[in-house]
Amino acid sequence: MPRGFLALILHAHLPYVKHPEHQYSLEEKWFYEAITECYIPLLQVMERLQEEGVEFRLTFSLSPTLLAMMENQFLQERFSRYLQRLQYLARLEEERTAGDPDFNPLACLYRKEFDSIADYFHRRYHRRLVPAFQRLAEKGCLEIIVTASTHGYLPLLEVQPESVYAQIANAVYYYAELFGEPPRGLWLPECAYNHGLEMVLNDLGIQYFITATHGVLYASPRPKYGVYSPILTPGGVAAFGRDPESSKQVWSSREGYPGDYCYREFYRDIAYDLPLEYIGPHLHPPGMRTDSGIKYYRITGDSLAHKEPYRPQEAREKAAEHAGNFMFNREQQVKYLSGLMSRPPLVVAPYDTELFGHWWFEGPRWLEALCRKIAHEQDQIKLITPGDYLDLGYPLQLSSPSPSSWGDKGYHEVWLNGSNDWLYRHLHRAAIDMVELATRYREAEGLLAEALTQASRELMLAQSSDWPFIMTTKTMVEYALKRVTTHLLNFRNLNKQIRNGQINRSWLKKISEENDLFPHLDYRLYQDLETTVPREHNLCPR
Amino acid sequence: MAADPQAPPGHEEILPEYYEEDRLVLLPRNPYSLYAYWEISPSTRNRIVESWGEANWCRSSPVLRICKHHPSHRKTIESHLDIDLDPDANNWYITVESADRFYHAELGRRRPGGTFFSLLSSNLVCTPRDSISHQVDENWQLPDWKSRKLIRRIAVYHLSSPELIRRLPGQK
Repeated sequence: MPRGFLALILHAHLPYVKHPEHQYSLEEKWFYEAITECYIPLLQVMERLQEEGVEFRLTFSLSPTLLAMMENQFLQERFSRYLQRLQYLARLEEERTAGDPDFNPLACLYRKEFDSIADYFHRRYHRRLVPAFQRLAEKGCLEIIVTASTHGYLPLLEVQPESVYAQIANAVYYYAELFGEPPRGLWLPECAYNHGLEMVLNDLGIQYFITATHGVLYASPRPKYGVYSPILTPGGVAAFGRDPESSKQVWSSREGYPGDYCYREFYRDIAYDLPLEYIGPHLHPPGMRTDSGIKYYRITGDSLAHKEPYRPQEAREKAAEHAGNFMFNREQQVKYLSGLMSRPPLVVAPYDTELFGHWWFEGPRWLEALCRKIAHEQDQIKLITPGDYLDLGYPLQLSSPSPSSWGDKGYHEVWLNGSNDWLYRHLHRAAIDMVELATRYREAEGLLAEALTQASRELMLAQSSDWPFIMTTKTMVEYALKRVTTHLLNFRNLNKQIRNGQINRSWLKKISEENDLFPHLDYRLYQDLETTVPREHNLCPR
Repeated sequence: MAADPQAPPGHEEILPEYYEEDRLVLLPRNPYSLYAYWEISPSTRNRIVESWGEANWCRSSPVLRICKHHPSHRKTIESHLDIDLDPDANNWYITVESADRFYHAELGRRRPGGTFFSLLSSNLVCTPRDSISHQVDENWQLPDWKSRKLIRRIAVYHLSSPELIRRLPGQK
């Protein structure tokens, strides 16, 4: 029996982005970059570990919007083309840098990496990444959990409880459709918790969720073991609190590993360094200087001007060293904690998946080294998933978490401030209308049912936490404004057409093709909670 | 935003500024900050102006009353704070004094003489805790996943969420 456990949780999410109307979409590129730099490299790491018999357990939270994009054939085709262009650019770079002792080996490395990604995507999984995750789950390496359907910021949608219910219920159903069974755990979008959410989770057979550190630390009654053991919320669902120490080591831009001078510099991309006549045609979109993904320099130091060529071997060694340091710190942590606890402590370390490979190029290598070291070089800690920890059968302390989030300052301000507060008036009004529609047309069929379903989709898409977040961070604000306004207007127009009994078939078809996620979304999830006749769900909790 | 060429006649192209409804919503931001937005429909306003008389309406001023509920008797208002509003305001950021407490808001008018007349009542919100709980009771339980049944959503939801508490029969 190890002295303690470590639950590494990677949360993967992107808003639903699909723009067939543009030949090149900057926002679709978020998805393509994440596949190339994060999802496939991480899948490859996990498969390599599994094939080599290294014992490891990780938790992946896959958002329904991300899953829907992974399953979308149009986006699969577009990603394939994006990757081909990248492979071609890497070949050009190999030729251009021929003979250069610093840059040619790097160009060669990128070429090999992109070829390997292409092979994985096309040959190994025939463009579908969901079965790759599923296979690892079946092999016992992964526990896959889900988050709210479009990553809605639940505490600010709760004014209409039906919104929260539909966000979660549809996510659970969609997950079950893809993976053949319901999820055990749910990642609360932005770790945002408010009293009562666990009731909805319980209703849908969810056994646990994750909160920010103070979500559990400030729970009441005071949790005896702090964040190092889950608590049992009043709704009968377990809550796991984030460990601050392990988070900081990976996350912090100052003290964290990713800022090491050996690691690859994210902000120095050939898209900005090379003449536009040469690089322009190969960028996405062509001619616009946006990151290509090919970056030849290491962080080097604090100076933004002076950067030296990247040395992959040195960076790999550093990633292994950092993995060793992380493991050592966790060993010390559990050694100390186990002296204070009557059960093995659990360290919960959740991260955004997109950190690994995209922002922190060496992240997947670090994770691989960490899993190997934990399996072979010590016996104090063991990797575990939250679900497995619950299966150990320890009684849990009854306690009510504190409302909180993992955003700046720990509460809801990032998603509710002067830049985005106007949004909630419209989101709440649309939710009221949706509840009225679903309650009035309880058993719609045909065109009416299609319109009601699309109205639910538009509302859910408008509710993504990404839009108010982008407004706060002031990056791509125009895009966020356009998306949220478009979905709200689509919703309003559908609402009007449905109520007037004048559904415009061709327009409905057009927007249904544009915003085509969740093929089996049930608009009746929005029926008024006060008047709904209780009904059994299709999914049974474990 | 550009008009959608494929949109049917009567299609809305911009979001409305107001929804012509009576509504006051309170949202929590952090242990000491709330946000409220509201709308009073022209028909409600006209009705009141008519009943009060134009002159009396003009002599009254808009006020947002923030009510703090008693920690153990949740239906009892322990104290309140009145905020004088700009006449055209339709939302406000409110600083409150207590973490981990229930609040609701009333939007109304202060009439000459100082009496407060409430027009709209908000939902109930709870400010987050900002520190470790002083309650140290330990009660441990084994989660019993297997025997758990799907619980009817209405019955379950009415247990805790402030909004659902508000919707319980007899509550406002």
